[in-house]
Amino acid sequence: MTHQFTFLEDVALADAAFEAIGDSPSELFLAATRAVIETMVNPDTVSASWRREMEHQAPDLASLLFDWLSDIVYLKDVHGVVFHEATAVVTEDRPHGGWKARGTLTGELIDAQRHELRADVKAVTKHLYDVRHDDDRWVARVVLDI
Amino acid sequence: MKLNTDMQVNRIADEIWEIPASEKAGMLVPARIYATKQILASMDSGVFEQVTNVACLPGIRRYALCMPDGHWGYGFPIGGVAAFDPHDGVISPGGVGYDINCGMRLIRTDLTLTDVQPRLEQLMTELFRRVPAGVGSKGFVRLDRLKFEEVMCKGARWCVEQGYGWHEDLSRIEEQGCIPGADPSKVSDRAVERGISQLGTLGSGNHYLEVQVASNDRIFDPQTAAAFGITGQDQIVVMVHCGSRGFGHQVASDYLKVFEKAMRRYGLVVKDQQLACAPFRSPEGQDYFAGMNCAANSAFANRQVITHQVREAFGAVFGRPAESLGMDVVYDVAHNIAKVERYEEGELVVHRKGATRAFGPGRQELPDRYREIGQPVICGGSMETGSYLLVGTDQAMRETFGSTMHGSGRTMSRAQAKKSVRGEQLKQQMAQRGIIVKAVSMSGLAEEAGFAYKNISDVVETVDRAGITKKVAELRPIGNIKG
Repeated sequence: MTHQFTFLEDVALADAAFEAIGDSPSELFLAATRAVIETMVNPDTVSASWRREMEHQAPDLASLLFDWLSDIVYLKDVHGVVFHEATAVVTEDRPHGGWKARGTLTGELIDAQRHELRADVKAVTKHLYDVRHDDDRWVARVVLDI
Repeated sequence: MKLNTDMQVNRIADEIWEIPASEKAGMLVPARIYATKQILASMDSGVFEQVTNVACLPGIRRYALCMPDGHWGYGFPIGGVAAFDPHDGVISPGGVGYDINCGMRLIRTDLTLTDVQPRLEQLMTELFRRVPAGVGSKGFVRLDRLKFEEVMCKGARWCVEQGYGWHEDLSRIEEQGCIPGADPSKVSDRAVERGISQLGTLGSGNHYLEVQVASNDRIFDPQTAAAFGITGQDQIVVMVHCGSRGFGHQVASDYLKVFEKAMRRYGLVVKDQQLACAPFRSPEGQDYFAGMNCAANSAFANRQVITHQVREAFGAVFGRPAESLGMDVVYDVAHNIAKVERYEEGELVVHRKGATRAFGPGRQELPDRYREIGQPVICGGSMETGSYLLVGTDQAMRETFGSTMHGSGRTMSRAQAKKSVRGEQLKQQMAQRGIIVKAVSMSGLAEEAGFAYKNISDVVETVDRAGITKKVAELRPIGNIKG
């Protein structure tokens, strides 16, 4: 199982864009989550003393990823935390149709002295937003408003 | 001239270019771009696509406009201006942006560079301590839900009532720092949760607090400058650029979702998901307008609390109360907002996204002290190159719904800028040029390097020559605080 992400240089001049790739929906979510986390902070400088279970449902995978990533931005402001890492398990929600995601987000209360802080993400946007299944991999393009 | 578009672009005047309504299916009005030849040629393809998409929105009047600092945004281009008939037109969160009432405030002082230079390091340290910046920063003002609702309704007025400012500050803020029609019941709990502890914080990205110098040789209109309290003689001023923080961001995100559904109900089809909109008079349109006004007022309050902290910092460093340092607000103006304003057609819903209100002389919305002169317009440049104070004109009222540019406009992505320079290296280079930088994030600092932006002087010359605002003074940075 593998996942990766790349920040895109020529998309959204004033903001941050990335492409996330996974060989399953779960891996795609891990890649995109990691990209959002790394936009805000160097996660290697953050401990895992704060922990939050996350659970989302949506009629399609694109909406699910959008809500999942938006929740990370929300948690950052509400709890005053930056993040270390995340887990994600994404499955088809067979009884109801659609998709669901479950996972855990860990991090720590923000400490500007210790954490290598980066950009304060304002929002996940629908600008050029795309989630697709190419052959045997899942790909998302996401633009974050900075 | 090679442009980043295949569309027909006609020259209307030296600094005005028009894309006819025939160039794209669905355009209801032409699109107009304010730019010199060079600036037009440097504009990315997204500007042409997006400004013509805006021209397709129902109820648009006259033109879809883009200012010379325009670049690719979400839905509207940054630098976009559009006015809609409130009866048959729409309101669009994409025409306001995520950072509702992101804006600029300028504070004058009686201090000179000679007074400040010896204590500049101390002053910047004190400002950095008192004005929180960066990811998830929290302010010193403790609010419960009811008090935060008062902030939403009263804006900067709430701050002055609490002692965070002077009564005379209010007349020097757009809408006196309090837009009517804010309704806290129209904002979500999530928006409140995100914003309740962030009053008085800068945020990150291109937001900043800057100590600047107004030199005699960079004052272009001494009479207007004097009326704005800018006297030159190496006078020290303070500029603040920030908005409504997580509260406004969440209001925008919430209503983009609401509007996606509402569009289906009203049969609205747009060229870009980020142009999601609803009829202004619809329940959804009115709810967004009421929620957006809550965020706009919280942004006025945010800049007011920061002003209070700036005055406290100056008072502490110079050992005198801010009143005796002449620290009056020059003006505070939004550049991400939708407002109902009156023009020759009657009332219109004017959207400005990365564009500044620039009312000319005589408008009743202006305070007495500026009514005969025109509105102060504050445009922030990159942290390395300086910023400008301009004044609104009658021509802006006739041509651009009383609007003008807001800043330099980026030409390089954040990722590219970070590859070109390291934050520590840039900080040292700026120190060698006499600019002290205090930054929470070194990578964030690198992203804001001057070379990532257009030359603000070129952009300012364009609006000056076009006549939609006139130059008053250039303000040179000596100290910068970034998130």
